This record gives sequence, C-alpha cells and structure tokens, in this order.
Amino acid sequence: MAVDVRTTSVPASATPGSRRPRLPRAERLRQFALFGAPGLLVYTCFVLAPIAISFGYSLTNHNPFNPPTRFVGLDNYRLLFTDSEFLTSLRVTTILTVIVVIVPNVAGLGIAVLLDRKGWLYNALRTVFFTPMVLSSVVVSVVWTRMLDDEGLVNQTLRALGVEQPPGWLSDPRLALYSIAIILSWQMLGFCVVVYLAGLQGVPNELAEAASIDGAGPVRRFRSITWPLLAPSLTINTVVLLITAFKVFDHIQVITHGGPGTGTTATIAYDVLQTGLVANRQGYASAMAIVMLVIIAAAAGVTLKVLNRREVNL
Amino acid sequence: MKDSRLPWLRPVVALVISAFFLVPLYMILVNVFKQGEKITQSPASLPDPPTLDNITGLLSRTDNLFWASLTNSIVVTTLSIILLTVLSAMLGHFLARSRSRWARVAMLLLLSGLMIPPQVILMPITQVLRALGLMTTLQGLVLFNVGYYIPFGVFVFTGFLRGIPIELEEAAAIDGASRSRIFWRVVFPLLRPATASVLIFLGVWIWNDFINPLVILGPSQGTTITTGIYRSIGQYQADFGTVFALMFLATLPVLIFYLFLQKHFVKGLTGGATKG
Amino acid sequence: MKHKALLTALVTTMVAGACSVGDQQTAQSGGGGKKEISFLVFETPNMTPQVWDAAIKRVTDKYPDITVKKLVAPTEDRVSYAKQLLASGQFPDVMIAVSPAGFAESGAMAAFTPDELKDFDFPNNGAVQGKIYQLPTNTQTIPVVYYNKDLFAKAGITAPPKTYAELLDDSAKLKAKGITPFVIGGGKDPFASTLPWTATIATDVYAKTPDWMAKRRAGTVKFTDPDFKKATEKFAELAKQAYIDKKDVSRDYAATEQAFLDGKGAMYPMGNWFAAAGDDPKRKPSWEIGAFNWPTDDGSVVVPAFTGGGLSVSATAKNLPEAKKFALAYTLDKTNLDASVHNDGLYPAVKGYTPPADTGAVFKLGYDLYQEGVKSNTVTQAFSWEAGDDGMLPGVVDKWRAGAQDLITGNKTVDQVLASLDDEWAKAS
Repeated sequence: MAVDVRTTSVPASATPGSRRPRLPRAERLRQFALFGAPGLLVYTCFVLAPIAISFGYSLTNHNPFNPPTRFVGLDNYRLLFTDSEFLTSLRVTTILTVIVVIVPNVAGLGIAVLLDRKGWLYNALRTVFFTPMVLSSVVVSVVWTRMLDDEGLVNQTLRALGVEQPPGWLSDPRLALYSIAIILSWQMLGFCVVVYLAGLQGVPNELAEAASIDGAGPVRRFRSITWPLLAPSLTINTVVLLITAFKVFDHIQVITHGGPGTGTTATIAYDVLQTGLVANRQGYASAMAIVMLVIIAAAAGVTLKVLNRREVNL
Repeated sequence: MKDSRLPWLRPVVALVISAFFLVPLYMILVNVFKQGEKITQSPASLPDPPTLDNITGLLSRTDNLFWASLTNSIVVTTLSIILLTVLSAMLGHFLARSRSRWARVAMLLLLSGLMIPPQVILMPITQVLRALGLMTTLQGLVLFNVGYYIPFGVFVFTGFLRGIPIELEEAAAIDGASRSRIFWRVVFPLLRPATASVLIFLGVWIWNDFINPLVILGPSQGTTITTGIYRSIGQYQADFGTVFALMFLATLPVLIFYLFLQKHFVKGLTGGATKG
Repeated sequence: MKHKALLTALVTTMVAGACSVGDQQTAQSGGGGKKEISFLVFETPNMTPQVWDAAIKRVTDKYPDITVKKLVAPTEDRVSYAKQLLASGQFPDVMIAVSPAGFAESGAMAAFTPDELKDFDFPNNGAVQGKIYQLPTNTQTIPVVYYNKDLFAKAGITAPPKTYAELLDDSAKLKAKGITPFVIGGGKDPFASTLPWTATIATDVYAKTPDWMAKRRAGTVKFTDPDFKKATEKFAELAKQAYIDKKDVSRDYAATEQAFLDGKGAMYPMGNWFAAAGDDPKRKPSWEIGAFNWPTDDGSVVVPAFTGGGLSVSATAKNLPEAKKFALAYTLDKTNLDASVHNDGLYPAVKGYTPPADTGAVFKLGYDLYQEGVKSNTVTQAFSWEAGDDGMLPGVVDKWRAGAQDLITGNKTVDQVLASLDDEWAKAS
C-alpha cells in the first residue's frame, strides 16, 4: 500500500494556508457536507462500524453454534495473554514482519540504484520488477508452491547440481516461515523498487555532480547526498511492508494452511479466522482481531514517529 | 552521471538479478502453453510444442465461467475505482486544507482502517450490508470496496496535495469561483499522477480480491473472475496446465491495465516525497 | 457541472442495477408455480460441473415442479463456506457433504424422519443428539492401503503384509532399496498427512473401544490414555524410521495422488475414493495397483469406514418439502448412485443396492476389502472423518491434523501432541 503517511503526523496547520483567516462556521460545515462527509460516511459504515461490532462481540462468548451468547467482560482478553497458541502466532507474525520489512527494503534500494538510469533496458526491467504486485496472492502462492515443493523447480535444480538432500522449503518446520517470508518479499520487492526509484529521480543531478567534482567517492556521495533525500521513500516502504506483512492471510491459507504442524506459519490473521470460522469461537476470535489491530496500529505509529523524526533531522 | 569504468557491468548485473526474479513469472508463462502432463516433470522447459488447449478449454466452457465473471469483474472494478477516486480526492482535499483538530482525528481513524485485514471483520460487514439491504448485490460489493479502500486513496491524494501551493486555489477564489468549481477545474486536473496511482493500485487490489466477493456477492449472484478462478482450482487441481491457464487469464486484464497506466503512476505515489 | 453529472449518473446506474439484480431473483423463484431450491456443491477433479449438472437434471426431470439453483463452494472446505453463508443470511436450501455438527444443534438444519430414512443401511449414522440431519448415503473406507506391485516386487515382497510386524518388515525392505514406503501429503490439504494415523487408531483404539469418541465427549477417556498413545506411537515411529518422508508434508493432495501414480512411493493409504483416479484410463499407471487393509498386530481384520457424506436440508428453506423431496430423490436415484460409484469410488449404503458390474479393478479391490470387514463384523469408525455426535468437537480436527504433521516432522513428541490435544478439547468444549 502506498501512502504518504507523513501527513498524519504533520499538523494540518503546517500547510502554507495557515495564514488564511478561518472561514465562518456555516461555510465550513457546508464544505464538510460536500467534500468530507460522503467518503467518511461510507468508511464508517464498512470499516468503523464492523470494527465496533467486533469489539462488541469480543466482550461476549459468542458462538453461533452454541447459544446463548453471554457478556463476559474482558475475560477473552485476559485469556489471550495466557493462550500459548495465540502467543506463538504473535511470535510467528513478528518474525515474518521483521524479515519482510528488511529484505525488500534493502534489496529494493540496491535494485533501484542499479536501475536508476535512462534507456529502454532499465524501463523494461522496472516493469518486470513491479509485475508481481499485479498478481493476486492466490496466483503467487500457487506458483511458489510448485517451485518450492520437493519435486519443484528449486529442488530439481539443486539435485541436478549434486545436492543429495535439498532442504524441505515448505515442509521443514524450521524453514517454512522463512520460505513464506521470501515469497512475500518477492511479491513486495517491486513496490519498494518503484518507490526508491521515484525518490532517486528526485535527487538533483547537479548536487551529485558537484560532490563528484569535490572528489567524493560513490559511497560517500550516496551516504551524504542520496540517502538523506531517500528518507521519505524509506518511510513509505517501511510502513507499507509492516502493514502488509502483519496482516498476511491468503498466502498462509493457500501455501501451508498454517502448517507444517503447529507453531510454524500460523499468523495472527490465520489464527483469528481459524478460531472464528472453524472452531466457531467468534467472541474469542473478535478479541484476537481487536488485539491484532491495536498491536499493528501501535507498531505503525511508533515506526512513523521514529522515521518522521529522522526525516526532520536530516 | 555516467558509469565511467566497466560500462557493461551495470546492465549485466541488472539482467542477472532480474533473471532470478523473473523465474516464477516465467514459470506461469511457459506452463500455460505446455501439455499438463509435462509440467510436473519439467516445470521450467519451454513448451515444445506449444499448445493453446489449456486456454481454449477454459474459454469454451459451457457454463461461460470466464466470460460471465469477466463482466462482473469489470463492472465491479470500474465502478469501485471511479467512485473511490472521486470520493477520496474530495475527502483528501478537504482534510489536507482543513485546519481543524477533527481533520487530524479523521486522518488517524482512516490510517487505522488500512491495518485490519478485511477477512477478520467480514462477518460484521455482512451484518451492515444486510441491514442496508445491499447483501448479494454488486452495489453492496462496490460500496464495501469504497469504504475499505478509501483510506488509501485519501493518503495518496493528501500526500500529493501538500506539494500543490494553495495560492492557486486562493487566486481562483478571489475571482469568485465556488469551492466545488475550484476543486474540479483547478485542483483535480493537477492531481493526475496521484489519480493514476490510485486507479492502478486500487484497480489491481479490487480485481484480485477473492474473499470479499465470495461472501458479499454470495454463491448465487455469479462471481468475479478472481473468485471464479479460485473456485475452479478445486476442479482442475490435478490438471496443472489448466490451473496455470486460469491464473494467466485472471491476471491478463489487470496486467494490461497496469502496463497502460504505469508511466503515470509512479509520480503520483511519491509526489509529495519527490518534490523534496 | 460536468463532474456532478457524472457522479449522479453513476449513482443512478447503481440504484438501477440494484433493482435489476433483485428482479431477476424474484422472477426466477416466483415464475410458473415452480419451486426453486438452492443446492451447494463442490468441485473436484472427479466431481466436475458436468457430473453435478447431470445428477441434478435426473431429479428435476422426475420432478418438473422443482428448479435447482446450483451453488459452488470455493474450495473443498465447504463447511467453512456454509458457515459464512449461514452467518450472512445466505444458507443454501440443500447441501452435500457438509458435516451437520453445529448446524444441527443451532437449528439451522432440518432433521430427517425415520420414515424418510427407511431406505438406508445405517439410518442412525452421524446422528446429532439422536436425530439425523445428513443422509447417510455412502460408505467410504478410510484408509485402504493401495500399493505399487512393481515396487513391492523390486523389494522382494511377494504378498501384502498380514500383520503389523510384517508391514514394518516390508517397509524396511522397501527403504533398503531406496524406495519411500509410504506416500503422504499435506500443504493446503493437511488431511493428507493423517491417513496412517487414522489407520492405527482404528486398529489399536476403535477395534477395542468402538465408542471411544462418545467416551471422550463424556470425559471418561483422554488422548493421553495408553491405547491412544500406542496408536500414536506407531504412527510417529513410521516417520522416525523415515518410512514416511517428512518432506512430503508440504505436498498438496492432488500432487500427492499424482506422486503415487508416478511411482514415487510404494504404499498409499487413502480413502477408497482413490479408485476414481486409479481406474481412470487417462491416469492409470503402467504397473498394477494392489490393496490391503491396514494390518493389526495379530493379523485380524479391521476396516475403518465412515458412512455419511450425503445431503442436508436447511431448516429455513423456503420450500422445505420440496428441498427434502429433492434431497431424497437425488440420493436414492439409481443412476446417481451408479455415478457416485464411477466418479467418486463411493459405496452407496442404500438398501438393496449393489454396485454396477462394470466398475474398475481398483474400485473392486477396495470394495472386496470392505466386505471382509463387514463379514467379520469389524468395521470401525474412521477417526477424524466421523460426523455429528461421533465426531470430534469443532476445531479439534484441525489441531489433530496439525499434530500429525508435528509428529511426522519430529517437531513435537508423542506426549506433547497428545497433551495439547486434550488442551484443545477443553478449549473447544
């Protein structure tokens, strides 16, 4: 997801318009009704209200197949923090998120620097790197499953190269999560490349050339000129990767079904769906969903704060 | 800048890395045109001889699965992204130019909406849709898409708007133009790159969504193409050639759409950022 | 203004669209005195759209007053989809192979009367609180051990094993020749990891305690009890000896079936529906397929089997009598039963029915093995496949399947897996 997330923490009053006199109240209301209200109304109906309904459920023992529904207060939340399965899925999700935030960010920056040239070749390659973003998660999952199966392309190749026991990419409990992380990173890489490329194209050539004349080597030029100017790109990529990785569900469902075994690739989103839809414990699943939302919002908020401060200081 | 030493190094390295990256895409492409039984044994070989059987088999299904769901997908995606562009540009503009504390609160609320996977709140969403009488309708799905994806549109537009000087609007206001008129005549045309990225990203996401149409449209109102494809994997799971053809057909329209718009959208995505 | 006009046009289109979709629906269900019922099915390589359409048409030809709207579940996991449909107010009128657990207790499904069930061999199978909500249409043996006669011969094995010790012996011989003894799967289809465990539970738990599950529900037995532990250890041992290749737990079901047909392993414990693939002239391997029942320690016959899998009817179906009429007619139609034999390798459990004479060789192998169990009266439940009161609590099946993968990969010990299953049971109850 691409957003100029900085907007949230920069006070609106910082826009150049702050010198203007405020409009009369009636006029402001009219403008809100015309411009603001329609979008917010739809958003409230289909996102805020469902979250509120979920929160309501999370205070009950709601199980559609085992009525009656009783109010249980914060019991579900209390239970969550002693539920080893939930804590494991939290750990799994955290590992996945950390990898997916780092790998496409670093690789994307490298590739963007590599492709930051004019010419048809580089244009074509940019398109290539972005293409996985256009694929649905089902397609990505099916193709990668075929690649990483023991009889898949990767292990066929390894065997041809003389590796007798190639790794069980998706079947080894110690590896499966990392394989999923690589698949997600592959899909998100193009996004990072594009955002970094856009950032790089905003770096004025004169600046780099001036530095070059001053005798600065490529590494120093990158560190002191390019990298600071890429700060906004880094912020966008990091937050987008964080959110994408934290809520991943489709890939898990199609590739491993949360397996192999327990505690390997079952992410929080997967755990929520499994608890609510398969085990019918919808009250409890709602509590999980709310906690999940709070955690990701906190993580994104802190990341934004840190990166924004960094941007300002640079 | 020029690559002074080793001018061939950069393109070679770029090509090698891209080649590795391309392998999964290559896998889809070659296997679409390969006989099913050859796929397991030699997943990476070129189709020899190439065959169109996998694709024609699907396109000529008697129940018209592909063509019927193609229409649904196009209708849902088009309506959703047009509405989303209009509503999120207006809301984004309103929030970007508002100095009220409430605008910041609204922004935070919108940001939090990006963080919840829709599957997790899907059942409450169906309750809302039922209350509004929109369950199992295309417009229910469209409205849901608008609600769920509007934060994204708003963020892209507000980010971009920060790079557009407000003086332009003020000058138009002095000339006596109404706020709506200013927005549509002066501001909106300037937002073109942002609009392109909103259209492309949301178009891709809405096109590829399969969980929400599955439940909101329900099983009796036809399906979107991604849902239809996902559903058909059950029938064709032993027939890898057809599975690859299904995936290829589902992706093709959105890929074309992307190639068509790609020139414009990068700028929109990072408009605020690159203006520096 | 141009844009406002555009927006208005858009909104109008949508509203108009809403009407047209709605109209279509009412026109279909209201027209010409016909009663429409919706029917949820799922598609597999065996059960293609053509197969379903033909089966439905046979019934509607007989009852021209009924029209059927076929709904298709997105994956083979039609139970979760049925739950989503129920929760969103779209519960189908009739559905096939949806375990009634939960749906029945909450009043979503209509019970069948004893009179409606008079034609079935096991009219009480899969009962929920004493009532039948799913027609006990057919029996499946889960698993039959299919084997590759070629690979057996290569390893010098002349006859299928009669006792469990012989099975281990033969596995050792196969492995010594570099042949993987057992073919299993997993990935997005975790059930494919579990079939040997279902077999050892049948021979070591259900053969002794046929009502084990009822006792587990009553809390008088536990997963950690000695018999269940012994069955689990047998299964874990197969993995530890590498008779089961732990790498196979990521291979989905379709690829697993293909792997056996491609000769990637010697024995394939699977439900008898495998006959549909094994007898398919297009997929039939060049070597001969054999089959045997999973052997017990003393060589006595035990056949794990599940009877059920049929149609259920929604309690809130708009045309409930027609829905029931359709369900029964669909199930008892001779041609439909024959088709289920041919297409899905099922054994119809309908009184007076015998499978057609032209069934394939692999089907006959499984069917004869089942008849052995019937003759010696040693047909047991097939663990994890039971429905209704005979089944595990909702959610525990998935944990049990994950536990099977933990045992195969060696990620957890037998004791850990069994203890966590008892925990999960407590959470689910």
